[in-house]
Amino acid sequence: MNESSQSYQVRVSGSGVAIVLAAATLGLAALILTIERGLTGWSFAITFGVLIAVGEMVQFRVDRSRNRAPIATSAALGYAMLRGPEVGVPPDVAQVVAVVAIATIAGLVPRVVAGLRWEVVISARRVLSVAAATAAFSAVIPNDMEWDGTWSHALPLTAAMFLAVLTAGISDALVGAGQATEAFNRPFPAALRDELVVLARIGLGMGISGVLLASCTSLLGLWAPPLIIVPLLLTQFAFRRFASAQRTYRATVRSMARSTEIAGFSSPGQNARTAQLAIAIGNDLGLTPARMEALEYAALLSGVGQLALADPSPGGASLLRNREERQQAAEIGASIIERSGVLDHVAEIVRHSNDPYRQGRANNSDIPVESGIVNVALAYEQLVGEGGGQSAGKAMESIGLGIGAEYDPVVVESLRRVVGRGFRF
Amino acid sequence: MTWRPRARALWLVVALTAALAIATLVFALFEVQNGLVVAGLCLVALIASSLRSVHTQRQIELVSVVLVAVYVIAGPAAAVIVAAVASLIQAPAPKIKLIFNSAQRVLSAAGAAVAYAALDGPVGTEVFDRVPDALIATTAASIVLQMVNALLVSMVLILERGPGGVGEFFRHVVRTTAIPVLGYGLLGLSMAVVWLGGLNIFAGVLILGPLVLARWALSQYEAEKTAQAATMRAFIQVIETKDLYTRGHSERVSEGVGMLGRQLQLSDERQSALEHAGLLHDVGKVGVPTSIIRKPGRLDDAEMDAIRLHPARGVELIGNIPFLEEVKSAVLHHHEKYDGTGYPAGLAGKNIPYFARIIGIVDAFDCLTSTRSYRPAREVDETLAILVQDRYTHFDPELVDAFVQVIRAKGWKAAVDQPAPDGNVQANVDHDDLSLGSGGGASGSAAGPIA
Repeated sequence: MNESSQSYQVRVSGSGVAIVLAAATLGLAALILTIERGLTGWSFAITFGVLIAVGEMVQFRVDRSRNRAPIATSAALGYAMLRGPEVGVPPDVAQVVAVVAIATIAGLVPRVVAGLRWEVVISARRVLSVAAATAAFSAVIPNDMEWDGTWSHALPLTAAMFLAVLTAGISDALVGAGQATEAFNRPFPAALRDELVVLARIGLGMGISGVLLASCTSLLGLWAPPLIIVPLLLTQFAFRRFASAQRTYRATVRSMARSTEIAGFSSPGQNARTAQLAIAIGNDLGLTPARMEALEYAALLSGVGQLALADPSPGGASLLRNREERQQAAEIGASIIERSGVLDHVAEIVRHSNDPYRQGRANNSDIPVESGIVNVALAYEQLVGEGGGQSAGKAMESIGLGIGAEYDPVVVESLRRVVGRGFRF
Repeated sequence: MTWRPRARALWLVVALTAALAIATLVFALFEVQNGLVVAGLCLVALIASSLRSVHTQRQIELVSVVLVAVYVIAGPAAAVIVAAVASLIQAPAPKIKLIFNSAQRVLSAAGAAVAYAALDGPVGTEVFDRVPDALIATTAASIVLQMVNALLVSMVLILERGPGGVGEFFRHVVRTTAIPVLGYGLLGLSMAVVWLGGLNIFAGVLILGPLVLARWALSQYEAEKTAQAATMRAFIQVIETKDLYTRGHSERVSEGVGMLGRQLQLSDERQSALEHAGLLHDVGKVGVPTSIIRKPGRLDDAEMDAIRLHPARGVELIGNIPFLEEVKSAVLHHHEKYDGTGYPAGLAGKNIPYFARIIGIVDAFDCLTSTRSYRPAREVDETLAILVQDRYTHFDPELVDAFVQVIRAKGWKAAVDQPAPDGNVQANVDHDDLSLGSGGGASGSAAGPIA
């Protein structure tokens, strides 16, 4: 099992329970209301319900954050924004929420049965954000406003759809940022910034697809969904390939890191533990996802320079006897990593990962803070990890002695917080 | 067989194509009505063709999606004009290529226009009542567009690269883009619907969003693949620093198995898996102490055992990478021999995994054509003769034949920049070396006298 992907999973959390409960309550209320009033537009409800369920079934994971079901999201948003002339009586807010909720459950059940990854919190978040979008859209656009082929109708309709999509996106970003803060102790502004970046990239694509789906269905009726869904499936296929190439690449870097263990330069799991701690500190400091990725790779690969040294030092990296040797190994490692041509930032981090703070970052702001993080993570791992076996308190004490001279004070403060929250390897 | 480009014929064909395209364009200009709408569509198409991505070679043709919309919004003749305007923006290329590309796009669009008109595809708001007709007509138009395109490009490819180029073009470009182009063509139809539904030129913005996203995913995919390949190569180079004589060995083996794989016409996926396996086959050497790898003179049994462990070490190392299973089995079994005397499992004949048999051949070939501390490099012809002699004992005979054929046809870039053989070294240590009588290497005809 790879540690880092685990640490990125949303754990069962207080907010998660609250989100699921809220979605369930909302869905149930909407269902009761819909049953009371009666369902309008059966064919549309069933078609979009099936689309949402199928989209939910074929969800996948990209950029290691969480599962995504873009087709389900687009379909749900599309259903929320239907109007005439083809849709006789557009679904009201309650009906949209009810259909989305039921379809979501219908799509999740097969995944659960098949033993695939499923995240009920993420699905619940979709129900909530689509409810927000529906509310926004129907607040702006009256039920009887139709697509009649004129500017004066098309433009306000489209503007309102974008407003609704943005409402959904931003509300989901807020919830997502809150969850990231809770799960990984990321500072809220940093977490929100990351969510908004994803929103601008993937979220907007899903939103626009939803807008297209809604407008085309309003104009063409049920001929429209295939026109949008087939290209969406192709896009999703492209994303899956991207995601799988990404997984392969990450696993390759991890394997490279493990080669120092197989060669006898470091103890089993040492690199993974160092990376795990570096990630926790990086989260605490609110680094961007791109920098987090480089940090993880740098922590994993920090020992790779030893491969070029003639003979292993038995027992792991700690036995590189002096600073010169360690810095030399770091320099070699950096040049190895640089040779790949695609990991320059990682190489830079590794190059300075054994520089003492006083001679390094204190006077040279070009050296990335990530180097200081890797330096501290290496030190802490050697004290507390399998080789060291010290208690967290004692390790903090001896690292504290090196504050400002050996270690970056900002990083040590962050380590103190991370350890204080009960970090374990 | 080498192919001499037919430069004069090429120019003639390009000139004819261009003339035909211009004639078509003039005809279309007389046919078209509603200039303002066409101008708007041209603008969208120009934006689409300027959204070029750096990484992907097989891109979804954004312009062809816009063209589908043009047939429906403004009619077939307009599509020819839009195609011509869109081809004004092209990636930098030699002039002859630019001219041909523009002409080829105009003619493809014209062919598709004829198909659309022949099927009586709806133009304008009548599409709302005739959706099935529109679907059929736009799909037919997309197919014809691709066919004309493929035809014209093949014609030029034959003149430029010979018949082989056409096969490559069909295998790698046409086959992989056909379904995406048809699928994304549907998006063009929905663009037309939204445009006619009152949104007008903003429909273009709406449609380009998802397309750009799809392209982004594709380009990210290519970027990850490139990064992966570059990273693996860098890593392999580090491991090879352990022994000066094996520098570049893994990359050459990867190259060699790639050549053989193409000869055997593997699918794209398996081809790249084979190349990965070739690159990584000796990755387990990182677990063999450098002192053993560099040791001059014969190895004792314990040292030999350490070397024999490297395939298993390799699998241990790459086990977590989601490669095809074939990659791992190839790394594990690349030292098996056809007669069952190899290691680690002593598999024989076709029980040895296919990829492992391929790598075994190229591995030995590259070893023999490189310098070792105890002997100079062998000539390619001499080495091929050794491989042929060792069919059945070491190698899969059919694969050896295929390999010999491929090397004869395409040649081989042997190792360069190697240190000269060291006169003081008496025996070898390279586990891949066939000229070894016992120990790591093979026994067989190659175990000739050690010079």
